[in-house]
Amino acid sequence: MSTSGSPSAAQPRNRTDQRAEVLLGALACAVLVLIAFMIVFVFVKAWPSFADNGLAWFGAGGNVDEQMQNIFNSPADPSDYVYTMHAWPLLYATALITGISVLLATAISLLSAIFIVEFAPVFMQRLLRPVIRLLAAVPSVVYGLIGILVLVPFFGNHVISDGEKESVRYVIQLDGTSVLVGVLVLTVMITPIMVAITTDALRSVPRTWTEGAAALGVNRFRALRTVGIRAARPAIVAAGVLATARALGEAIMLSMVSGSVGFAPNPLDGVTFLFEPARTLAATVVDNSEGLSVKPFGQTIYAFAAILLISSAFLSFAGWVARSSMRKYTLQAR
Amino acid sequence: MKNRLRRVGLLSALALVAAAPATVPAVAVAKPTITMSGSTTVAPLAALLARKYLKVCDHCVNFKLLQGGSDIGVADVAAGRVTIGNSSRDPKPSDPGGLVFNKIAHDALCLVSNKANPIAGLDQAGVQAIFGGSVRSWSGVPGAAQTGTIDVFSRTPASGTQDAFQKIFMGSSKMFSGASQKGSNGLVEQSVASDPGGIGYVSLAFTKNVHTIPYKGVDCTLRNAKSGQYGGVRNLYMVTRGAPTGATAKWINWITHSKAASKVIATQWVPLN
Repeated sequence: MSTSGSPSAAQPRNRTDQRAEVLLGALACAVLVLIAFMIVFVFVKAWPSFADNGLAWFGAGGNVDEQMQNIFNSPADPSDYVYTMHAWPLLYATALITGISVLLATAISLLSAIFIVEFAPVFMQRLLRPVIRLLAAVPSVVYGLIGILVLVPFFGNHVISDGEKESVRYVIQLDGTSVLVGVLVLTVMITPIMVAITTDALRSVPRTWTEGAAALGVNRFRALRTVGIRAARPAIVAAGVLATARALGEAIMLSMVSGSVGFAPNPLDGVTFLFEPARTLAATVVDNSEGLSVKPFGQTIYAFAAILLISSAFLSFAGWVARSSMRKYTLQAR
Repeated sequence: MKNRLRRVGLLSALALVAAAPATVPAVAVAKPTITMSGSTTVAPLAALLARKYLKVCDHCVNFKLLQGGSDIGVADVAAGRVTIGNSSRDPKPSDPGGLVFNKIAHDALCLVSNKANPIAGLDQAGVQAIFGGSVRSWSGVPGAAQTGTIDVFSRTPASGTQDAFQKIFMGSSKMFSGASQKGSNGLVEQSVASDPGGIGYVSLAFTKNVHTIPYKGVDCTLRNAKSGQYGGVRNLYMVTRGAPTGATAKWINWITHSKAASKVIATQWVPLN
């Protein structure tokens, strides 16, 4: 065994250390094997759905729910399995709800982190930190329950007008489960973790850097904007990636509040657009997991899972690229 | 030496953890165990029946009851993970071969609307118009107290209740594609209860907070379902792989033939005879 990697290469190595090293290495490798196995498993399961549809799988056309119903009611003979699936409304809903929530959450979390680090009095800082950690740890079902018992009926009965309901009633029903409620609850869910990470990053910017800026005569907010935030950018990107991953994978809450119809909300409808329901990929998987025993249906569900898996892998990669290109402006420590 | 001892300790601890799941069936060998999974509609009925059965036969078996939905039950029993799969839907052509659907009871499927909108009744054409999406406004429904748009709540395609509704009420006509699909009876009840313009369908046991709509002039009640007057009645099954044998056969036979079981079923469901 080579000892060149160890910092104490000159001394004979402790056997306990060696054993710990092997054990930890084995664990790390096991995680890699597990991930590889998971990816292969999901893709093997999902393959018939992709192979049958080709690129049309990602396109629009027809009604997703009807297609799922047909897949579910496939004949018993494997050669007659129905696989037709045009998943565009689900992909669009996922991108729409995740995108808007992450944008909102980034803005809110950045501003509140600045407030907590730079402007809040000490007692408030002491109060806010545990509260934010608590918020970040609330299980998503709890948010889902609040959404479905309070927000959805409120929007359905008081915010959405009869005129708006009537304007689209032959296409879709506006019952309160909507993109807007989904985005609101999701934003509340992912903001705390972003605030926590951003706060820590801003705090670890060396005091001397902002003091240097202040010595040049700029005010606190400007110093923070031009020096502090710039130095903390990699951490902010990391927070964004983490939040996006959570938003992408959020299933239960969204299946409860954002509507259970495979519908692509139309931005041309104006404000009504926000009141239209949409179902994300993860919510679709949860809603339909009952049907896994029907083989082609199960394979279609696995295809949704495969798309989620790819998006989160791509997300981590994009985050890594963004961070490494920003690193030259900042501390090397992280 | 000390390290080796520690390692042995760790290994034996691991072995214990690994053996733990294996020891559970070993302990149960003394008595036969009947495991069930599947339909959320059948689960409360199965639990009540099992409690009674244990009293009657003096704890002659062990029961384990899981839920998950009709299709989970069918898949589990086909794969041999459970002895009985509970199902609230009829057999389908795509089901795995070799399964036996043992009918144990009937269940009424009720049409429900909000309490603020007590509709006096619907016939099949009315149901098809509303749930098919051709009538989208309450002003087009005779007897509705509500005006404005109809909010239709249906179930996900994998649900046994959805399957039964399509067969009994809709026939060959299609569901409205804009309807909101919910994952369970409880969610449909909650949605209709909180939306004055809502309409949906649930199992009879889930009608406390909503108005039940008479179908073809007959109220959706236990009595009407038992007498056979109410049209929206479906079957509940316990599915086995091959014909039931041993303790399982005794148990299913007790459900379908004994007076005590009929009495338990008749509290909220409809016995076979």
